[in-house]
Amino acid sequence: MDPEFRGDQDHHDGTSDATPGGYPAERRPGELGFALFLSLASAILLYNAHAISGFDALSAPGSVPMATTAVMLIAALVVAWRTARLPKVTTETLRRDILPVTVLVFVGFLVIFGLALKPLGFLPTAALFLIAAIRLLSGWGWPRTILTALFALAVIWIVFRVIFTVLLPSGVVPEAEVIQFFRALMSGGAA
Amino acid sequence: METLLALLTVFTQPDLLLLVAIGTFAGIYIGAIPGLSVTMAVSILISFTFSWEVYPAISLMVGIYMGGVYGGSRTAILLNIPGAPSAIATAMDGYPMAQRGEAGQAIGVTTVMSFFGGLIGILVLALAAPYVSVFALKFQPRDYMLLAVLGILLVGSLSSGSLVKGIFAGALGLAIGAVGRDPLTFTERLTFDLQLMEGGISFIAVMIGMFGVSEALLQLQNVDKTAVRQKITKIVPSFGVIRKYLPLSLQTSTIGVIIGALPGTGGDIAALMAYDHAKRVTKNPKVPFGKGAMEGLVAPETANNAAVGGAFIPMMTLGIPGDAVTAIMIGALFIHGLNPGPMLMVDQPDMFWFIVGALFMANIFMLIFGLTGIRIFTKIVEMPRAVIIPLILLLSIVGAYAVNNSISDVYWMLGFGVFGYFMRHYGYPLGPVILGVILSRLLDDNWRRAIISEREDLGRFFEGILTSPLSFTLFAAVILIFVSQTPLWTALKTRLFRKASQ
Repeated sequence: MDPEFRGDQDHHDGTSDATPGGYPAERRPGELGFALFLSLASAILLYNAHAISGFDALSAPGSVPMATTAVMLIAALVVAWRTARLPKVTTETLRRDILPVTVLVFVGFLVIFGLALKPLGFLPTAALFLIAAIRLLSGWGWPRTILTALFALAVIWIVFRVIFTVLLPSGVVPEAEVIQFFRALMSGGAA
Repeated sequence: METLLALLTVFTQPDLLLLVAIGTFAGIYIGAIPGLSVTMAVSILISFTFSWEVYPAISLMVGIYMGGVYGGSRTAILLNIPGAPSAIATAMDGYPMAQRGEAGQAIGVTTVMSFFGGLIGILVLALAAPYVSVFALKFQPRDYMLLAVLGILLVGSLSSGSLVKGIFAGALGLAIGAVGRDPLTFTERLTFDLQLMEGGISFIAVMIGMFGVSEALLQLQNVDKTAVRQKITKIVPSFGVIRKYLPLSLQTSTIGVIIGALPGTGGDIAALMAYDHAKRVTKNPKVPFGKGAMEGLVAPETANNAAVGGAFIPMMTLGIPGDAVTAIMIGALFIHGLNPGPMLMVDQPDMFWFIVGALFMANIFMLIFGLTGIRIFTKIVEMPRAVIIPLILLLSIVGAYAVNNSISDVYWMLGFGVFGYFMRHYGYPLGPVILGVILSRLLDDNWRRAIISEREDLGRFFEGILTSPLSFTLFAAVILIFVSQTPLWTALKTRLFRKASQ
């Protein structure tokens, strides 16, 4: 069997932790930049770890952080050095294969989701997110998109709010009152 | 007697039994849908079940784990897309079988063999863990430290890709785990003087980000891939077929249990190794490997399910996870106030026997659900990705938020999601990060305990390692993994793999 088999021939996506993406003998667009970023970040962390307790004692609170960040820095530098020597992949571009517009748009969606979650409440935010996301990905017409999104949201809400009793920000929707209403209805029916 | 009662807990309480069943059922589908992984499901689930009692929460997770490891094989056979990493090897021979119109038989054999492998894994867990835990009581702090390092290194080195990247990932995990106030001296560590970071980074946010969000972002590139319909007829395999592959399945189950029990390595690696083994020992397969050989299905499927039981051995006895999913389960036990490790087996043996019982039931449910309900199955798997991906993202957000009711956890999750996305693209394994986060505390505490007991003397510390057989073995293993990075070893490995592929 091919030791470099990635489970996915066309995109080398790295769909799992056992089969990370990337190419063994080539450098993907942006790979060197990422390695350099990791090196820089590790260096900053190492500096910060040194500030915890310096070289006080082997058992000082900063010892293990210093050791781990030092390992990070060394590993990141080795990776950067190895990556820099690899030939570039000729068939890929950063725009198309690493950071396509859809991915950027979705990261944007998620940031907005986080911002809107508290003030607007879970249900409206999630509904808007699902409608926008499904519409964007599927290209379906509005009625089908909205129906699918609302149905999926209803299922999720029932499972998590009612069965798992996860508390989500209610925002503008009087969730608790609605649940209470149905509870009262149920117990009223039972009695 | 008490042991027996604990073992039977899951049978005597219908609600627990139901949760195991639901978990297994859900696990099969989660495993089968490409893009949904067991690791992702379990990490999202922790945040939803943390307000539950510990038994129901564990029941659900055990079911999902067992079902998910098996479920990946379905899509591997039908669509040539491994639904879960542990099914990568299954696709190599399963899909050619489906192309010949033998999908039903392939699924049937896979199911029975997964059950068989799972059973062996559970048996070994039940028999071996009590002994390992007695042995584990003799472990010194330095042994724990070495074992933690070994676990992180193993997951980085046995998975394909570069070990250096694995080491980086493991160290990153340890560093993430160290953020916040030091539990012993209350000193702030790696907080950049931000109040936000004083309490540390929620490991659930890290996990959901790395396994949920980054996966979903990657899948955005595969939205258009459509599923292929397959007609499936008879699936329950004949007894003769099963008997024929029994010897092989015993061997590959053993491989599975051992790989599963090694700290840090799980079903995905076990399956690939078992596949290699089957290729080596099967002299005259009826159909060549890679073209639809039955042996190529039996080997990975027994091994990956056997690895489930194996992975629980170090988790329950040492508090060191056997793979990424058990790492998350350790996190779940922590949240429920339990402390996995040798003392758990002494103080609360019930917990251990309960898990064994739940695993056993999950295995049986897997067999039942696996051999039935094929029709619904194809429907669910054909659910368009344009709907699945937004749902994963939504669940990730809900999950990250739910644990502490904090928006900042959502942003941590997002940050780690984007970071994990790049890691996946550039070939950095994510497993070691999670292992690092979970083991950070254990490694730190034990290092300090070990070095304080040696009066801060490194010489005495190493003397201790060299004179104790156990520490020495662990130390040698750590060194060996580093040596495996030298060019000499790489040459040897390529030769080995070339031989196996012939």
